Amino acid sequence: MAPEPQNIPGHRAVETLVAKLRRRQVVGSREAALETAIVLRQVVSKARFTNIQQLITVIREVGRRLAEAQPKEHSVGNTVRRVLHNVREEYNSATKGSAASRNVYSIGKFVLQGQPRKQSGGAAKSDGRITLKENDPDDQDSFARALKPVLMEAIQDVLDELETVYDNVSKNAKDHVHSDEIILTIGHSKTVEAFLKSAGHYRNYTVIVAETAPSYQGHEMARSLSAAGISTFLVPDSSIFAIMSRVNKVILGAHAILANGGLFAISGALLAATAARAHSTPVVVCAGQFKLTPLWNLYHEYGALDFADPSSVLGFEEGKLVERVDVVNPYYDYVGPELVDVFITNDGDHPPSSVYRLIKETYDDDDHEL
Amino acid sequence: MPPKSSSGKDKDIAEEDEVLQAVILADSFNKRFKPLTVGKPRCLLPICNATLLDWTFESLALAGVQEIFVICRSYADQVKAAIRDSKWSKPSTGLKIVTIMTAKETFSPGDAMRDIYTHGIITSDFVLVTGDLVSNVRIDEVVRAHKERRRTNKDAIMTMVVKESGATHRTRSRGESGVFVLDPETSECLHYEPTIGYPATPLVKIPREVLAEHPEVEIRYDLVDCSIDVCSVEVPSLFQDNFDYLDIRRDFVHGVLTSDLLIKNIYCYVAKDGYAARVADTRSYDAVSKDILSRWTFPLVPDDNHPGGHSYEHLRGNKYIAKGNSVVLSRTCKIGNNTLIGAHTTIEANASVHSSVIGQRCTIGAGAVLRDAYIFDDTHIGAGCVVEGTIIGERVRIGDRCRIPRGCLIAEGVVIGDNAKLRRFERVSKKRDAEEAVGDEDADDEDEEEEDSDLEEVEAHQEGVEEIVGKGSNALVWPQGAPEEDETLDEREQYNNQRLMRMCDDASDLELSDEGSTTDDDFSDTDTSYSMRSRASSMTSNSGPSLSLNLGDPSAETSAIHSLSYAAAESEFRSEVEQSLERAFAEGHSVENAAVELKTLRMASNVPLRRVREAVVGALVDRVPLVPGDPAAQRAEIGGVVRRWGALVDKIGGVDAVETVEVLQYHCAAAPLAARQALFAQVLAAFYQADLVEEDDIRKWHASPAGRGEGLKPGSPLAEGVKRCWAVGTKMIEQFDAESESEEESEDESDEDEAPPKPQAKTAVPAKAPAKEESTDEESEDESEDEDEPAPPTPQAKTAASVSAPAKEESSSGSEESEEDDEEEVAPPKPQAQPAVSPKAPAKQESSSEEEEESEEESDEGSEDSAPAKPAASPPSAAPPTTAPPAVAPPVVVPPKATPPAAAPATIQPSAPPVPPSAQPSKAQAPQPETDSESSEEDSSESESGESESPAKTASTPAT
Repeated sequence: MAPEPQNIPGHRAVETLVAKLRRRQVVGSREAALETAIVLRQVVSKARFTNIQQLITVIREVGRRLAEAQPKEHSVGNTVRRVLHNVREEYNSATKGSAASRNVYSIGKFVLQGQPRKQSGGAAKSDGRITLKENDPDDQDSFARALKPVLMEAIQDVLDELETVYDNVSKNAKDHVHSDEIILTIGHSKTVEAFLKSAGHYRNYTVIVAETAPSYQGHEMARSLSAAGISTFLVPDSSIFAIMSRVNKVILGAHAILANGGLFAISGALLAATAARAHSTPVVVCAGQFKLTPLWNLYHEYGALDFADPSSVLGFEEGKLVERVDVVNPYYDYVGPELVDVFITNDGDHPPSSVYRLIKETYDDDDHEL
Repeated sequence: MPPKSSSGKDKDIAEEDEVLQAVILADSFNKRFKPLTVGKPRCLLPICNATLLDWTFESLALAGVQEIFVICRSYADQVKAAIRDSKWSKPSTGLKIVTIMTAKETFSPGDAMRDIYTHGIITSDFVLVTGDLVSNVRIDEVVRAHKERRRTNKDAIMTMVVKESGATHRTRSRGESGVFVLDPETSECLHYEPTIGYPATPLVKIPREVLAEHPEVEIRYDLVDCSIDVCSVEVPSLFQDNFDYLDIRRDFVHGVLTSDLLIKNIYCYVAKDGYAARVADTRSYDAVSKDILSRWTFPLVPDDNHPGGHSYEHLRGNKYIAKGNSVVLSRTCKIGNNTLIGAHTTIEANASVHSSVIGQRCTIGAGAVLRDAYIFDDTHIGAGCVVEGTIIGERVRIGDRCRIPRGCLIAEGVVIGDNAKLRRFERVSKKRDAEEAVGDEDADDEDEEEEDSDLEEVEAHQEGVEEIVGKGSNALVWPQGAPEEDETLDEREQYNNQRLMRMCDDASDLELSDEGSTTDDDFSDTDTSYSMRSRASSMTSNSGPSLSLNLGDPSAETSAIHSLSYAAAESEFRSEVEQSLERAFAEGHSVENAAVELKTLRMASNVPLRRVREAVVGALVDRVPLVPGDPAAQRAEIGGVVRRWGALVDKIGGVDAVETVEVLQYHCAAAPLAARQALFAQVLAAFYQADLVEEDDIRKWHASPAGRGEGLKPGSPLAEGVKRCWAVGTKMIEQFDAESESEEESEDESDEDEAPPKPQAKTAVPAKAPAKEESTDEESEDESEDEDEPAPPTPQAKTAASVSAPAKEESSSGSEESEEDDEEEVAPPKPQAQPAVSPKAPAKQESSSEEEEESEEESDEGSEDSAPAKPAASPPSAAPPTTAPPAVAPPVVVPPKATPPAAAPATIQPSAPPVPPSAQPSKAQAPQPETDSESSEEDSSESESGESESPAKTASTPAT
């Protein structure tokens, strides 16, 4: 059923991204998501298909290759799912001819909508060839020609969303950060950085940045924040617990948010979150929607944490030690849902317990396994 | 043609629209992996279940290389097929891979480079790697740095990637490594000395000018040579020109850096991040495997970007198990840390596996114990076996209850019977079937023939093998222990050195500590040659003679052999030079052309500069036709010859006037004819006139022990001759003295009544000043370009110069000298400076007599101190041994600026380090027993006149 890899349109672009992902030349969830969306746009624009099923197979195939290339960049798979979701939606609305039928129950519009109603999704599918003719024997390309512009738009939506994610996440920053608060953060998450800077326009508060060994991204973060005029302290990771009693809020970035409400975040985040729990300090996670991942991490897979090379922990030049000591350098920590109080996304604020619902809304169920 | 794809365009490298090329030397040119490499090239051996070639390709692809040339020799067909079937040949990888088969006569990387040159495939800067590289270094950054450098300096031909590791790192080869001398600022590689593990290289010599010209140098013995070189286009052509270069490091880098003919720079890139290592031997195979498993090569790790395309699951403790549930692990088996298990492998009950790599489709029998074992695909290990520290090839069957101890290598297809007990370091390969042997005949491979002869040799020693390899085995046991010493074998390929590269061989029985590694207490003040004890990395400095003492113990017998071959080479060289000069004289070549010819000859036969000088001076003297009984005609003859050819003496590669005089003296003294002996004075005078030698040189020579003929057997004709010549020199110096006193009074007075040499000398004096100016000018330009404005000749300036000298931090000794030169240039024509001349002369006189005294003392003390012409005023040692580096790893910085600059030129110069002419630093001493001050090979004494005057000048300053 799956097409041969060579027959995939934009095959070369896909392979290039696969290689880059494998070689870690594309790192960071947003970067990976952007690259994926761009590649998918290429694939769709070059694809030849006569019905929607063909197109979806192609996108899935590409998505599978990309996601397999780097299973630890979860945002790659998420972007593929998101594109698939949007493509189906566009198709449905095109075939049904009206946007009203897209009235899907959403937790974000809970108050507005009231009780969920029974969905009537695929019912209209069979009679929906008013404007589009699938599998037209006379003109093979007619379907694709008619649908492509809307599909490109749908993918463009995903791209736009990725590009504006920082602004959208931080638009409500002033509601979360109050004057004279002391906020602790760890690592150098671009989302958190934008969030704090945006809050800095309205509020006068203090940030404590843990330096985040062994990558010491905290240094960069502290430099950037203090350059933006926010009063900033840089502390070693070991003092996180000691200063936690004075901290009002812990703000973390995320690498991926899992369906159970847990998240992968830079190593050290678990330490901060646990310390915060001990002091009953609220933990806030800032992340774009594209980080929502339909994964559960039920068995706490060891390899999921992405182990980097030990050189930042133990210098390669320490010849004797290298031989006798096994060094592990996990790049991410898994922070369980019970340690997180709220997720701030570009799609509103959510508690960990409703992440699964968000995921259900964002992606189609059939795509969880690419 | 590069792939015109978006993939290519995306690469950072493509910014200049230039295709980045890489050359892989896929042949190892040695036999360290035998017998695993019987019937298989080394680059197709798997490491962590992907072939070495795959790892190399991946490393290059990571760097954005677009075009790869694979140079293969042995089993080229297999390499080709492997590349064709691999994922790399697919167009989507954006790589263009071309395999090039080289001739069977290619026996070294150097030959391969020459082959690359003849193929003409290289169009721009390229990356040169070996086919056994595992690396995640950002080579593209190295390339960028290289190109950046090339933009400003066309002579930067190569950038070597090295990795800091510490001297005793597992990945660093003990058997062959090198000492890098780097400029810490520019990371230029100033010098490279190869070292070997056994016999341990006790000393490494660093040419003086490296230290003189650079305010700071790092001497490093803690670098892993990754054998990634970014080369410019001219590198292959340099190999072509220098047909004797074999190895890229030992011959090419060393040769280019020590050559005074090739003005080329080589740089190092000390990789801070990333990992790079070569699988050069079984020991490094073990080390690199472990490095991969402990994720040093991230992201090139089994669970992430496995070059073979397999996918593995990473479990706690760096265990990697193939994905897809194809691995069958018994419930009771034990999998230890740092283990990789390939797909479809079965590990049965109670087996335990630690720090091992197991290929695909293997079975490990019940209760077997594997530790540090590397097992290739499709191999069966019987129940109850104990396998440790072993590499086992593909499709091997090992019976039950075998013991395979550390260091064994078991080649492809071997069957070992039950209950076999291999000895340590056993090497086992498969017996050839009869028909296979016949079938081989039509295979034209010369290489296989070579191998066949190897195998036959092995087959000859097969009695009693049954006990070792068990019943029903098809194994051939390779002989153990040191093979009969093969003289043709390179030192580093000798058995004992090879042991250091062998897996699991701790070589504890080898004497690896070198005798001299304790720091010597008796530092003499004139320590001038910088030698580093390579193994301990502690530094001591010694003068020449004590150097050779140090070397005595480990290399006495080898040095004897060496000197023999050396003598032969030298006599050949002499005759070559004679012929060359003969031709030059006869055909009237220009001096430059003759000089180039001599330089080339010297390079080719690798002799010290002194030999060339001897030959040239000798030829000049012999060229003079004898005109008995007519001194004037004789003078004219000499003058003619010296005018025409004298310049050659200074053009052969270095200027050392003192040596010239000495060489002349010895040549004349050794002449059989008395008439020729008498020529000495006249020729010397002619040299003086032609500015080949200066007054001070004559004085210096005169004061030197060699000039007086010390050390020669008294009474021998040679000694007599030398004495006579020395006497002539005495007379000449007396005249100089007299002359300098009477200089102001009358210059045209004493024209007639002098000894033979005098007339010329006298008349030369007036004309001399400007000429001298010029020559010093030239010389000083060599040293520092920045001296264009002459220093004011006022006394204040002089005192300032001499006073400020010690405090001067930045200026190297070279600029110091040049300043002195300036003063001299300006002084004579100025009338105010005139009075200074007369006090100067006595002062000079004084200093030279002091020199004499001192050098007498020194020579009484013995040959310890080889600085005969040491100025009396010279402060202590030029190279304070206190700056000797601490032991081992940290980069050694020897800042010459810490040395008292006034002394630096004077003390370093006379006993310029006896830089070895050959590649073997330690042995070089032997053939030059007369390690005296003049044996400097380099242009060490360029501005002698300036230096030697410095004390005198300083002394004269108060008087003015």
